[in-house]
Amino acid sequence: MLRHLFKLIWNRKRNNLLLVSEIFFSFVVLFAVGTMLITFGTNFLAPHGFDYQQVWRLEIRAGQNETMPRTELDEVLRQVQALPGVRQVALASDNMPFIFRTNTSAFSYQGRKSEQSNIYDTDDHYAQVMGLQLREGRWFAKADDGSHHRPVVISQDLRQTLFGNEPALGKIFSWAEPGPDIKPEDQFQVTGVVDNVRMENDFGPAVPSMWIRLLPFDSTRWETANVVVRVAPGSGGELQEKIARTVAGVTRQWTTMVRVVDEDRLHKRRYTIVPVAGLALVSLFLIVNVALGLFGVLWYNISQRRAEIGLRRAMGATGSAISRQFLGEMLVVSTLGVVLGCLLAVQFPLLGVFDLPPKFYLAGIAVAGVAVYLITALCAFYPSRLAAGIHPAVALREE
Amino acid sequence: MENILAPAETRPAAPRLPAGPPVLQLRNIEKVYQTKTIETVALHQVNLTIGKGEFVSIMGPSGCGKSTLLSIMGLLDEPTSGEIELDGRPVQSYSDRELAALRNQKIGFVFQSYHLINDLSVLDNVELPLLYRPGVGGKERRERAYAALDKVGLSPRTSHFPGQLSGGQRQRVAIARALAGRPEIILADEPTGNLDSVMGEEILDLLLHLNREGTTIVMVTHDEQQALKTQRLIRFFDGSQVS
Ligand SMILES: Nc1ncnc2c1ncn2[C@@H]1O[C@H](COP(=O)(O)OP(=O)(O)OP(=O)(O)O)[C@@H](O)[C@H]1O
Ligand SMILES: [Mg+2]
Repeated sequence: MLRHLFKLIWNRKRNNLLLVSEIFFSFVVLFAVGTMLITFGTNFLAPHGFDYQQVWRLEIRAGQNETMPRTELDEVLRQVQALPGVRQVALASDNMPFIFRTNTSAFSYQGRKSEQSNIYDTDDHYAQVMGLQLREGRWFAKADDGSHHRPVVISQDLRQTLFGNEPALGKIFSWAEPGPDIKPEDQFQVTGVVDNVRMENDFGPAVPSMWIRLLPFDSTRWETANVVVRVAPGSGGELQEKIARTVAGVTRQWTTMVRVVDEDRLHKRRYTIVPVAGLALVSLFLIVNVALGLFGVLWYNISQRRAEIGLRRAMGATGSAISRQFLGEMLVVSTLGVVLGCLLAVQFPLLGVFDLPPKFYLAGIAVAGVAVYLITALCAFYPSRLAAGIHPAVALREE
Repeated sequence: MENILAPAETRPAAPRLPAGPPVLQLRNIEKVYQTKTIETVALHQVNLTIGKGEFVSIMGPSGCGKSTLLSIMGLLDEPTSGEIELDGRPVQSYSDRELAALRNQKIGFVFQSYHLINDLSVLDNVELPLLYRPGVGGKERRERAYAALDKVGLSPRTSHFPGQLSGGQRQRVAIARALAGRPEIILADEPTGNLDSVMGEEILDLLLHLNREGTTIVMVTHDEQQALKTQRLIRFFDGSQVS
């Protein structure tokens, strides 16, 4: 029977070549769409690596021609910290999570170069406000005041690219392209490592990140101070107003804007969901199109062979023998198409085309393979089942 | 087997032996084809008994229902009403699987329009009934197919495809396919319709020979001479038996 099957497939090679190419193209489309949707889906479900709930951000502006002396800023922070309902206050740079502002650069350590990574300037309390998860070492602190280098905390992915499996704590690294004679205070010393963070948007991947300790600084010439605040659960407009009043109480010229980070997240999501939903919609159409196309081609192919089915029935084949034969034929033909498709698909992770982790491509391949086999099995099984159910004389007449 | 190329006069016709127990029994068979515009009564009140070992020929004008009758006898189609018994058992009582086994082992069918699978070689086409027979290995299958093709004089054409054969050659492949399964009953729908008279004679002799060895045969033919050589001649007109 197996020999018969392969003979039949070989003798019908012209028809089958068409099927193989249809299956190949379907596979490639399903692979592309599958990989994309899996990537978005996996990112969406992955942890953010920090706790964006109950975090507010304040934008404190000095106003035109006003200065922002350090003493007054410290007083503002101290008073806000003292408000009931405020858990922790920290100073940060203006590239806050989920807003359209980034600050990136690449770093290197002994010839190992990182990808473009996010850089945040923060003070010693930032980790506590943002709920970052420490994996190694500690967040920078007062004890680092005497350090010759800039104390930094890096995310796990950045740690992996720069240091691999070697210990990272205490290591000193620098920009990917440091100037000719770089000073020690422009080099970075690792005090801690935190979990990967996804601070860009809900569908984005984790981006390597580095937090640099704000040096003992003079804020006089700042226009804006960015402050993050962790508040007690349930805090709302009342506390927001209280914070605004507190800032105004220290200095009448300064203004404050209080924003909720979780709302920033949802706002950003509305922006990113448009292309994601668009892609998903196009993907859905593609999938339906491919499924219908494959269905049509396979269905046509088998209905063309009703007379053959009738004859085989007349020669004593049972209905299930017919279904088995067609399933077998389709299995071989699909496998040829899928193997060709896989050969193309594995080039993506091998050549690193889109800078995606290989697991997404592999998942895409798996999804496309399963879908193709399901469709072809259905298309082989159902029409042959139908045809095998009618009387041989009826099927035979359709030549 | 006997020399099928011997001169026609010396070849005996089928002996008119008393028919054995009935293998096929048709009672009040009606077959109506219903299309959108027209209703065709292809068979009307057909009562027929085929005895074991008989060689029956059926004659009648074109469109009188001969092929329809043969399909029903070959379990390839169902009558609109009436009963058929195979070996004394009503056909309706057989399961799908049993019907398949009967078509495979008991009946050899030669189609009027051959019905060969164009994607299979002549040899593979002839092997087809054996493919669905449990217990027949590949080697035996091939040997029996070769032998059957040899009987119809097609040994040199085994690796051809149906598309590369003449009409008469295709007809002979269809006959070889029915023979390869060594069925108890052969139902042949104008098996010599496309053959020249010499080849037609040879095929008839082949069937006569098989009949003498015990095969029950029902043959549709337009050739009066051939029909007279069989044990019984049934004439059809407009879906009914007239003699
Ligand atoms: N599937 C069908 N649908 C409608 N009518 C049909 C169908 N098959 C056969 N018929 C009609 O049934 C009648 C008998 O057909 P059948 O093929 O049995 O004739 P026949 O005696 O074998 O003719 P011939 O000698 O030409 O082969 C014809 O009138 C034919 O038109
Ligand atoms: Mg006919």
